[in-house]
Amino acid sequence: MLQRMSPASRIVSYLLLVIAGAVTVLPLIYMLSLALQTEAETLSADPVLWPESMQFGNFQELFKRAPFGNFILNSLIVAGGITIAHLVFDPLVGYVFAKYQFPLKNTIFLFLLATLMVPLFVRMIPLYTMMSNMGWINTHQGLIAPFLMDAFGIFLMRQFIQPIPDDLIQAARIDGASELRIYWKVILPQVKPAMAVLGLFTFVFQWNEFLWPLVATTTEEMRTIPVGLTLFNQEYFTLWHLTAAGSVILFLPTAVLFLLTQRYFVRGITLSGIK
Amino acid sequence: MSRRYALTAYLFLLPAFAFFGLMYYTPIVNIIANSFRTGPRADTFTGLDNFTRVLSDQAVHNSFVITLIFGAGTTIGAIVIGLALALLVDKPLHGRVVFRAALLVPYLTSVAIVGLLWRNILDPQLGILNRVLDSAGLPTQAWLNTNPLATIIGVTLWMNVGYTMVLFLAGLQGIPDVYHEAATIDGANGRQRFWRITLPLLAPTTLFVSVMSVISGLQAFAQAYIITGGGPADRTDLYIFHVFNVAFSARDFGYASALSFLLLLVIIAFTVVQLRIGRRGEVQY
Amino acid sequence: MANRRLSRRQLLRWTGAGAVAGVTGSFAAGCGAGAPEDDAVDSDSGSGGDSAGDTLTVYWNAGHAYQAYEDVLAEFEEEHGVTVNFQKYQWDDLRTRLLSDFASGNAPDLVEDAGWAQEFAISGEAMSLQKYIDQDGAGMGYPDDWQPTTLERVSYQGETYGIQLHLTAVLPFYNKAMFDAAGVQPPQTWDDLLEVAKELTGDGVYGIALNQDHSYAWSWMLQNGVRYYDPETEELMTPRDAAIEALQFQADLVHKHKVAPVPTTGTDYSGPQKLLSAERAAMILTGPWDLLPIEETSPDLELGIAPALRKEKQAAVQAGTSMFIPTNSPHPDLAWDLIKRLTALEVEEKATEETGMLMPRKSWAESSEVQGNERYAVFADAFPYSADYQEGLRLTGKSGEINELFGTLYQDVVMNNTPAEDAMETFISEGERVLAG
Repeated sequence: MLQRMSPASRIVSYLLLVIAGAVTVLPLIYMLSLALQTEAETLSADPVLWPESMQFGNFQELFKRAPFGNFILNSLIVAGGITIAHLVFDPLVGYVFAKYQFPLKNTIFLFLLATLMVPLFVRMIPLYTMMSNMGWINTHQGLIAPFLMDAFGIFLMRQFIQPIPDDLIQAARIDGASELRIYWKVILPQVKPAMAVLGLFTFVFQWNEFLWPLVATTTEEMRTIPVGLTLFNQEYFTLWHLTAAGSVILFLPTAVLFLLTQRYFVRGITLSGIK
Repeated sequence: MSRRYALTAYLFLLPAFAFFGLMYYTPIVNIIANSFRTGPRADTFTGLDNFTRVLSDQAVHNSFVITLIFGAGTTIGAIVIGLALALLVDKPLHGRVVFRAALLVPYLTSVAIVGLLWRNILDPQLGILNRVLDSAGLPTQAWLNTNPLATIIGVTLWMNVGYTMVLFLAGLQGIPDVYHEAATIDGANGRQRFWRITLPLLAPTTLFVSVMSVISGLQAFAQAYIITGGGPADRTDLYIFHVFNVAFSARDFGYASALSFLLLLVIIAFTVVQLRIGRRGEVQY
Repeated sequence: MANRRLSRRQLLRWTGAGAVAGVTGSFAAGCGAGAPEDDAVDSDSGSGGDSAGDTLTVYWNAGHAYQAYEDVLAEFEEEHGVTVNFQKYQWDDLRTRLLSDFASGNAPDLVEDAGWAQEFAISGEAMSLQKYIDQDGAGMGYPDDWQPTTLERVSYQGETYGIQLHLTAVLPFYNKAMFDAAGVQPPQTWDDLLEVAKELTGDGVYGIALNQDHSYAWSWMLQNGVRYYDPETEELMTPRDAAIEALQFQADLVHKHKVAPVPTTGTDYSGPQKLLSAERAAMILTGPWDLLPIEETSPDLELGIAPALRKEKQAAVQAGTSMFIPTNSPHPDLAWDLIKRLTALEVEEKATEETGMLMPRKSWAESSEVQGNERYAVFADAFPYSADYQEGLRLTGKSGEINELFGTLYQDVVMNNTPAEDAMETFISEGERVLAG
């Protein structure tokens, strides 16, 4: 780092971070508390801060009441598959928009961005009809296909690839590298942090997706976790202990993925090519 | 030479053309076609009726204004707070990794869960927050009734600032140290370095964050669907929530399509403006 | 699974369309898709047993998947040699799912619905059950054994499109100990109520708690003789003064007399129940769905259930669910057989025993188990004077939009304390526009 911090600014920084951290984490600890409460405690009108005795049985109950193992597996396959597809396609397309000049570039890019502006439920019924005609309803490929890439990831990658100096690409071309090889060997290594961000956010987003798996699955065994969790609601009230326990399980893989990827965007991007 | 590269570009774009054409543009064509139709299955042609109806639909006007406020609040908040947090956790502090993780955690949770959780926390009669405030001798709140829109903006920021923080962090770390070193040697203080170096060089990230935030702000749905139900009395009737109800509660797919199409145009307009401004602000190395 | 694939492939063949063709069409693109399968089953009408090995898809509310019904399904599967795909959803999700199915020409075989039979009868997506009722009605006791108030809401142009599954009503629930301590009796009229509520309010306790959901407001509206929609004059909210008075009375309970807390906006119906359970409200208006949560959270609470209040007349909001068979159901005969089994008296009784849910059969209401149970009996006695407040409105096909407007009206008056007269004016002008459009 550039400069050392004065003790005063260090204290202020810590103070701000502790406050911000508390505001973000405390509600989630409350969720964990709910996951460990008895049903009576969660429904109580005098809200319980922390359960009298921790009900780890709530987690077992999830698996007893529904094929929760299936839900987890389906969510992993679908969110994982989509994330891999994004990591393959989004940087390549982003690279094209960042570094190539071609006719209609800006128009095409705008048309691409426009796809972000269509809420899912608006295209849900046409997609459902299409998947139904292809016989892909209630299959993993049917859950994955509509999300193979998206403009968010492409836009993100474009923004991160743009600052890479053109000299690097030119130099590689002079060395006789093929275009695909330049992308693979020169560009991708530069944007690992952005790829980590992309992979993490894509996974998180898809992992929590609700509407499409609701519509595109027709058996309980094919449901993903968010859709499966709705089974634990009664007609007029929520079974909070189970919903919260499911939410904790829902949260774990994204947390693990975050821990695995965070070192990439912590270490930072090094633009080693230029002096 | 440039012709060859243009060809390569198109070749690289081929899968994207196929995918977006099939999965996005066929549905979009469908929406446009349906916006001229009516009936529960959107199968009766009505010309421009759906669009003229928008002009006099008070509820739509109301929800549009609410959504603009919501979009502005969440975008400005996400940029200001996200950048501030990124600057903080970019400092050489012990345990900054822990803070980064803690601040991002809400974003890793599903918006449905966040909604349920906050509804549970904020309930004036039964929520945990008032219980805590009360036992600490502080006045209790009824924000969901008194300031519902500000409340859902707050909940959205609670969830999203960690995410914008990470994006800004990645952007910050992409700024080569040499710039700051040079500026320090030239005698620039911290504030000057922030305004003259950090902020301009962050422009691509800021542009990305603001574009994405406006888009997701104008499309926000779960906050109303799960926390407020659009109330009290339509004060949080977010546009997409309204359209969803038109489509699936009132079952007017034609009108819902017209409303979606109009929103699409509005968001495109916003995005074009932002990209224009952004392009002016971008700095090349 | 294998069967499902097969039928999807058939579907593809029948529509004769590839992926793209299906998409570029209208929402109604694949409409005819289910038809050939219908014919196959209809041709051996009445037996239904020939489709052994098939899967019957049933959409159900996730809160209603009682063991009593699971048992019926298991027996049904065995007898017909079919598999039942029992899909459980929350109401909103179920409706989203169903409308997506309808839009693309698919359909489940049987649907539990929250009062949608007329809507889908009008749109042609629910099948008339008349031919089945003509054939089996006498045997199963339909319509004679069903509460008369449950027949109109599932009928369209003289034919029946749905069968009532559960029947409920909204009545005052109260904390007996609190009432005894204050030396008051359950109120019978609005004046009584206000007096009692004032008596009971204080010391962190509210005399009554109102629901944030607007459907609960209809108890008061009906008691004041208000009609939501009059098909003859095509007018909303008649008589208007009575409607305004009923709304204002609720707002006054909150804001003027301060005997009720401001209901919290949201998507949750359980606020008043929680206040009652926590002994912070002495009385609420609700239905049998709150019996179970009250029992679980506050088993010591001495719960009383009172007959509905009266103003102009004694009245209560009638609720409950019904079942319908979609027009495109691949197995309507089997679905009908399932309806018969699910509504059999002994199944109703088992479900009641299991969950406390209330049922639409007269013979259920007259049974000794119900009459001998203090709580069930109050509801059974309330059925004759409870009413479907949306009657007449549903047939306009605009009930969804009008209900949204009423929700705004209710919240505006009760939460925001806007004078009922002003808010009503907005509602009427917007509502008339919707009805005209």
